[in-house]
This record gives sequence, structure tokens and C-alpha cells, in this order.
Amino acid sequence: MLAALFVAACGTTTTAPAGATPAAPAALRGEITFLIGEDPNGFQAFKDLVTAFSKVQPGVKVTLNNVPDGGEFLKRLAADFAAKTAPDIFEINYRQFGQFAIKGALEPVDDYLARSKVVKTGDFYAAALEAFKFKGKQYCIPQNLSSLEVYYNKKLFAAANVPLPKNGWTWNDFLSAARALTKDTNGDGKPDQYGAGIAASTLRLAPFIWAHGGELVDDANKPTKLMIDSGPALEAFKWFVELQTKEHVVPSKADEATESSQSRFQHGTLAMFFQSRVVTPDLRQTIKDFDWDVAPLPGDKTTVSILHSDGYCLTSASKNKDAAWAFTEFANGSEGQKSIVTSGRTVPSLKSVAESPAFLNPAALPANGKVYLDMAPNIRRVPIMTTWLDIEDILNKEIKRAFYGDATVEEAAQAAIKGTADSFKQNLTDLGAP
Amino acid sequence: MNSKRVFGRVARYGLLGALCLIFAFPLLWMVSYSLRSVALPPPVRLEFFAPPIAFENYARVLGVLPLLQYMGNSLKVVALAVPLTVLFASWTGFALAQVSRRVRVPLLALSVALLLVPAPALWVPRFLLFAQLGWIYTFAPLIAPALMGTSPFYAIMFYIAFARIPLDLYESARLDGAHPLTVWYALALPLARPTLVAVTLLSAVAYWSNFVDPLLYLRSEANYTLPVGVQILEQAIKANWPLLMAGAVLMAAPVVLLFGFTQRLFLQGQDSLVRWLR
Amino acid sequence: MTVVLAPMRNRASYRLQIHLLLVPYGLALGLLVFAPMLYTLALSFTEYDIFSPPRWIALGNFTRLLSDSLFWTALGNSLWFALGTVLLRVAGALLLALALNRDGRAIEFARAVIYLPTIMPEVAYALVWLLILNPGYGPLNLALGAVGLPQFPWLQTEFTARLSLVVMSGFELGEGFVLLLAALQTIPHELFEASALDGASRAQTFRRVIWPLLVPSLLLLAFRDTALSFYDSFAPSVITTETGPYYATFFLPNYIFNKSFGLFQYGYGSAMTVCLYLVGLLLIALQYGALKRGQASDEL
Repeated sequence: MLAALFVAACGTTTTAPAGATPAAPAALRGEITFLIGEDPNGFQAFKDLVTAFSKVQPGVKVTLNNVPDGGEFLKRLAADFAAKTAPDIFEINYRQFGQFAIKGALEPVDDYLARSKVVKTGDFYAAALEAFKFKGKQYCIPQNLSSLEVYYNKKLFAAANVPLPKNGWTWNDFLSAARALTKDTNGDGKPDQYGAGIAASTLRLAPFIWAHGGELVDDANKPTKLMIDSGPALEAFKWFVELQTKEHVVPSKADEATESSQSRFQHGTLAMFFQSRVVTPDLRQTIKDFDWDVAPLPGDKTTVSILHSDGYCLTSASKNKDAAWAFTEFANGSEGQKSIVTSGRTVPSLKSVAESPAFLNPAALPANGKVYLDMAPNIRRVPIMTTWLDIEDILNKEIKRAFYGDATVEEAAQAAIKGTADSFKQNLTDLGAP
Repeated sequence: MNSKRVFGRVARYGLLGALCLIFAFPLLWMVSYSLRSVALPPPVRLEFFAPPIAFENYARVLGVLPLLQYMGNSLKVVALAVPLTVLFASWTGFALAQVSRRVRVPLLALSVALLLVPAPALWVPRFLLFAQLGWIYTFAPLIAPALMGTSPFYAIMFYIAFARIPLDLYESARLDGAHPLTVWYALALPLARPTLVAVTLLSAVAYWSNFVDPLLYLRSEANYTLPVGVQILEQAIKANWPLLMAGAVLMAAPVVLLFGFTQRLFLQGQDSLVRWLR
Repeated sequence: MTVVLAPMRNRASYRLQIHLLLVPYGLALGLLVFAPMLYTLALSFTEYDIFSPPRWIALGNFTRLLSDSLFWTALGNSLWFALGTVLLRVAGALLLALALNRDGRAIEFARAVIYLPTIMPEVAYALVWLLILNPGYGPLNLALGAVGLPQFPWLQTEFTARLSLVVMSGFELGEGFVLLLAALQTIPHELFEASALDGASRAQTFRRVIWPLLVPSLLLLAFRDTALSFYDSFAPSVITTETGPYYATFFLPNYIFNKSFGLFQYGYGSAMTVCLYLVGLLLIALQYGALKRGQASDEL
């Protein structure tokens, strides 16, 4: 990995025409802190990025802090603001920055972006950049344009003689594959191999609702309520839930608790696993005895996926914003993004890097990494709200209840709508809508 | 008759053994699973040891996170907080044993009442307070409770121990011209050695195991303590149970060993409390 | 610490110095307990997000609590947990203390073992229970399976998840056990003998002789375990059940933690904290009443 970094670093300096050495940026000094929420592989990727940055700006000391778990990360970050120990930069998902932006805790980056010689708006996938806009301002710089796709175990498909997932495959194709790949191999009446594994959550359900022609909320720009209790949205919700309750092609509640779908996939006892790009480094490391690849989500009325994107946000309380921006700029220049991409963790948000061999490395799994780029035009996202996390949290719990058979889909949908009503109201109040 | 007695004995030991097994089970399972090879599939039947015994799990878990560094931080906290706890709790107890009833009774009543304050009730305001003081990012918020003897319970324990010393002894020391601190150090503390040891041990375990305060106040990896480290370990290596249990053993072992060697000293604090309650 | 200080012959001066030794305790209590309590009370009448100064909203937070169903769920769970653990711990400690109130090396060993769950660091303890209760390969279900009993997804259904946390917390009864053991040992032997001479049965001896003497210790235990239960539910709910399934193990401290630290609602969190105090007091008052009445009826 270090060698690759070195090559990447040399690449930029040697290709730059003599005389116009682009960056030779003004030397900055000081210390900045950067908070991330990554698994050990992601943590390592960011450590490498910080090392690369310190070669360009040796005067800036970057302290990297990692809080691996999603839920803990947010509490930790929010508490940091209260303790006046907020990091200068933090990495956050686009679903989650609204609650910080509304408090004025984040520094808008429009001006920095306009002045930058390293990164330009047009270099990014618009869908990623746009996801970090709030009340007309650009708040964070996205590092990736990942989306939900299907990882699959080629060996299991071959063994069951099931055609591999491919572009344009449908819900029915998926379901029949999942049925064929769910097996009770030891004859105890319970499946030991599952066809599919998918988390019972908002992020997983949403693209199915969209693909079926439904909507998650009533108005993507000014949402006032969830729309999952009728029409195509409810049908998609039911279809999704029945994967477990009726088809039994995904692990039951007890089986999921015994061993997670991801772990099952890694151990070769689950054929299709729904995740975004983030899981790739882990799969590369742990899977030794079978070949695997990635396919787009199956389509229904349309083929849609859901955006997974994390951005670098600057905090308004930062005492060294120039250094913080310099780091952000570096991280999202082609050198920085190439550094992260070698870990396998991201689908770069810079088009040039995404289309380069650094990402589409034919030697690295998944072979079909291009899926993420092909999907780019069909990616949708959840609304940007100050209270989205609350809403997602409540909706997740209701989806889980329905998915594991503890409530009917209708009950869960109603409960979610009722439970999230206040959060929708609060968001409108926050945004100062009439 | 004789065989009946033998049977009774066997039954009694059997019951005692079962009781021990139940209460020791979490610890035993933790240790046994920490030695299970990562390469083995999860067990399908109850087995305490599955060969090969994988001592290497301990080395591997130390490679995932710098748990030894976290352990060092935990030790630092213990090393700072425990002496302070003993110092302030014993001062308080020492003073309570000698002040007039008018001062003592309300203070003791207050101390007992404070035992009933649910800890979570203090999370938010203390956090905001420490933030105002600029103490976050340091060990200070973790150690601060030592200034009140960590728990009023320890001050009460010392009070009970010191109150057993006849007042005449204090009086004659005073008449000899001794400073209160001299009396405390040279006369009272040696007489209250069991309590001193018990408070040292109890507070050491409490600081070593503390989870919520480090979770709230520690902001950088460099000063994480072991409980936070092990929680992060769980999130980082989800469901790699042998390694996770190895991490848990690293955290539990010092406490359990300390307890194993000193259990009588540990348990005597309660003794005096009961006498006092009566 | 060698103390070389000027001799104090003056009695008043000695007494003053003695009182000075109480100052650190008083100051620390003020800073770490009373100031935070008052601060909480004050904040509970405000809206405070730390980015702008607290805004007075009078009883706004409390009226919001009334209609916040999640608050009531969390409160109910906390009550459930408090009553469950206090009952298990106090009753368990009493039974074990009565059973093991005799001499012998084996007995002494058993006493130490009973203390083990209490001494274990809470994170390690919560983690190992997550493994013990794993539905597929946890030892509990494997043992049930081995003797032909049905296996159960303990942490995956609402009732059993809550019950599991109560039970795992119930095993941490070491302190109460030792306290009651010590209390039993202070009961003079003559009392037992006298009672036996009267021809009293074991149960009568217990009710007439032992129980009244134990009541102060039992009260202290029940009170303290009630207060402790709010803390004790936190680590297992975060680590063992992740407050699930659904909201089954989502307790009041979890809600306070999330709303305050996670969502910048320090005023609302403070209002819940005030409720936590009230609930704690209420529970303690109820136990006091119950035990006192029990004692009174015994004396009749």
C-alpha cells in the first residue's frame, strides 16, 4: 500500500509540467484534528492519507481520531461541540450533517472552493457534491460516491447452477436466485446457507421503494411526512419484508444474531450480500477460498440505488481553518483521493480518479467495480434534514419489527409515520418555513 | 445413619459446587473462549476447551488496537485517583469522628443520602461543568471524584473505623501538642489499616472498570482507558469472539487476580458498616 | 508523608484544624454534586443547545415529556429494571447469606466466587453475556439443546431481552451478600439458642430473631441498589442489547444520554434527569413503606 502511495505521489509531481508546479502551496503551520468513524481498514487508509499530507505540508500536524461505531461516533462528535473540543475537520455521512449545519457549527466551503486551485466543483460527481448542500450553501466536500450494491459469491452460484447477477436483472431474477441458493445442507430443517443478507433498515429499504415507483417522503425538498403507508411504497415495503417473513431467503432474527449476514457471506454460507463499497477492504482481506464480485441492485419499474457518501466538514470553531482547508483540499485532490482509493474503501467522488485504473484496478476484487460508476446516474438520496437521524432511527426500528415478523407491514408503517411526525415538524421549524 | 450423613455431605458439596459454577461461569467462559482458535467454526455443542489452545489470540488482539497503551492509561488513572481517594476519604472520616454531634450527624446523614443519587443524574451537568473548566481532553474529570473520596461510602467507612478509636487517644495526642495531621497519619491511619486497605482495593477496582466517564470525557485515542478501548474493539472486530474475549480477559484479569489474593481484605469494609448500622 | 508542623497546644486551634479537614469534602461535594444538581434543575426549565445561551421556557420541557411516548417507554423499562434487579439482588443476597453463614474452607471459597460477577469490569461482563446468550452458539442455548430443552433467542425478543439484563445484573449481588453475611454474624448466638429452647421452628426463629435485625441492612441495600440500577442498566444496554430489540432495553439514562450528548437537547435532557431523581425518590419511599410495614406486621 505504501508503495502504491509512493507511486501515486510521484505520479503527480512528474506529470506536472516544469515551471508550473501546481501546488507548491504556501507553507502552513499549526495543528489540526481530524475525527473519523471508520473500521480498522478505513482507519489505516486515513492514516496513510495524513502521512501523505504531512509530506506536502510538513508544518501542519494532523491528529487523527477514530471512533469506529456509527452511533457512538455521532454522540461523540456532538459532545465535542458541547465540550468546545470540536475537531477542525470531521468525516460525516450526508444524512447526518444537517443537525450540525443548522446550529452554525459548520463552516461553509463555497468561498474556499471558488478560490481553490486544487479542487473544482466540476471535477466532482454532482450527486455527491449536491448532497452536502444545505440552505443554499456547500458545507462539506464529499470524498466518495458510493451506493448500495449486491456482493455475490460466485462459487455458490456455480454450485447451484444459478445464472450470475448481471446488469438489468430484476426483482424476480433476484428472488428466484435467492430461493435456489437458500439451502438446508445438514437436513436439520433449518437453512445453513442463505440466498441473501440485507439489513432491515431505511437505507436498504429506500431503493426498493424507489425502484417500485414509490416515495419515502412526500416532498424531497420540503418533506413533511413519510409516505410508506400506501401505494407502491407500501407494496415495495411488503415485498422487502416478505424476503424474510414469507420467503425465508434471508436469515431470521435469531440467525442474524447468531452470525451476521456479513460474517456469513465472508464464510461462504450466504450468497448475496447487500452493502455499499465500504465493506470491500474487509472482504478482500477475509475471503480466501472463493471468488466474489459485485452487481447492481436488481431493478423493478426502474433501477435505482441509494447514495452513500461521506464528506469532509470544516467546523466554524476551528482556529486553523486555512490548514483545515488545505488538508481537505489535499484529501480531495487527485493525489489524496488516489491514496484513499488504494485501500479499496471508496468509490472516489472525483470523476477523473473514479475512471482511472487506481479505482478500476483490474487486479483487485471486485472485478466489476465499474458497477458503482454505471449506477451513478441512477442514484437517489434521502432528504437533507436537521432531524433526519431521528427519523431514520425510528423508521429503522419499525422496519426491523416488520422484517422479523413482530409487526405487520401496515402497523410498522403507521407507527413510523406517527413516531416521526414531530421530527418532520421540528425540521420545518428549524428551516424557518411558514 | 453414617451413609445418610455421607450423602448429606456430598449433596451439600454438590450444591456448593453448582453455585460456584454458576457465579464463576461468565469468567470461565470468557477465559476458555479467549483461547479458542480463530480458525475453528463456532461451537455446535457445549465444549470448554477445543484444541488447539490458541494463546496467540492475545498477541493478535494487541495488534488490532494498542490495548497495552490503554491499559497504561487506566493504570495512570488508578495511580492518581486511588491515593487521592484514600487521602480525602480518610481526612473526612477522621474529622467526622472528632467533630461535635451538631456537625457530625447532619454530615453523615447527608453522606448516606448522597449514596442514593443515581449516577446518570450527574452526567449532563458535570459534563457541561467540566467543559466550562476546560478539563475535557484530560484525565482531570475522571479523577475529580477522588476529591470527595470518590464515594461518600468510603468516607463513611473511614468514619466508622476512626470512631472506634477511643476519644481519649486523640485527646492525649492533642495534649502532647500533635497537629491533627500528625494524629491522623501516625495514630489513626495505622489503627484503621483494614479500612485503608479495603478502600484502596475497592476504589482501585472502581477506577479501573469505569466505563461511562471515559466514554464521556476522553477525546483522543492517546488517552483512552481500557474499558473504552475494549468497547471500541467490539465495534472494530464485530463478532470475532475469541479475540474479543481475549480483550475482555486482559481487562478483567488484573481485577480478578487482585481480588483472588486479597479477598478477605476486600470484603471487610462491609463488616464495620453493619456494626454501625445497628 | 512526614508531618513536621508547629505544635498546637491550643484546643480551639486543634478543633479548627479538624474542621478544616472537612473542607475538601465539602468543596468537592459542592462542585461535583450540589452545583450539578442545581444546574440540572435550572436547565430543565430552559431550551439549551450549547450553541446559544439557555432560553427560559418554563414548564415547556415537562409538558413535552408528557406526550413523548418514548420517554414513557424508557421510564417504564427503567422501573422494570430497577424493581427486577433490586428484588433479585436483595433476595438472592439474603438467601445466599443465610445458606453460607457457617465456617469452612469450601464455604469461604464459595463466598469469594459469589463476589466474582460483582468485581468484574462492567464492559467485560456485558460482553461475555452477549456471547453466553448468543442464540446459535452461546453456551446457554447449547446446554439447553444438550438436555433436549428448547433453545431461545434470549436477546432477540422484547421480554426476554429485558429479563436477561435483569438477571445478568442480578448476579452482581456480591456487596449485598457480604453486607448481610456480616449482619448475620453480628447476631449473638444466645438469641438463636434461646429461640430454639422456646421450641420455635427455623422459620419462626428467622421471623422473630433474624429478620428484625436484618431490616436496617436490607433497607440500605434496597435503597442503594435502586439508585445503582439506573447506572447498572447503561453498559449492558449499550453493549449487550444495543437498547433493543425495538425499545425493549432502552432505559431513561440512555434517553438522557442520547438527547443531551447526541442531539444538543440539554434542556430536555435535564428535565428527564429531574424526573430520574423523582422516580428514584419514589421507589425508595415505596420500599421504605413496604419494609416498614413488613416489620410492623412481624412485630404484632
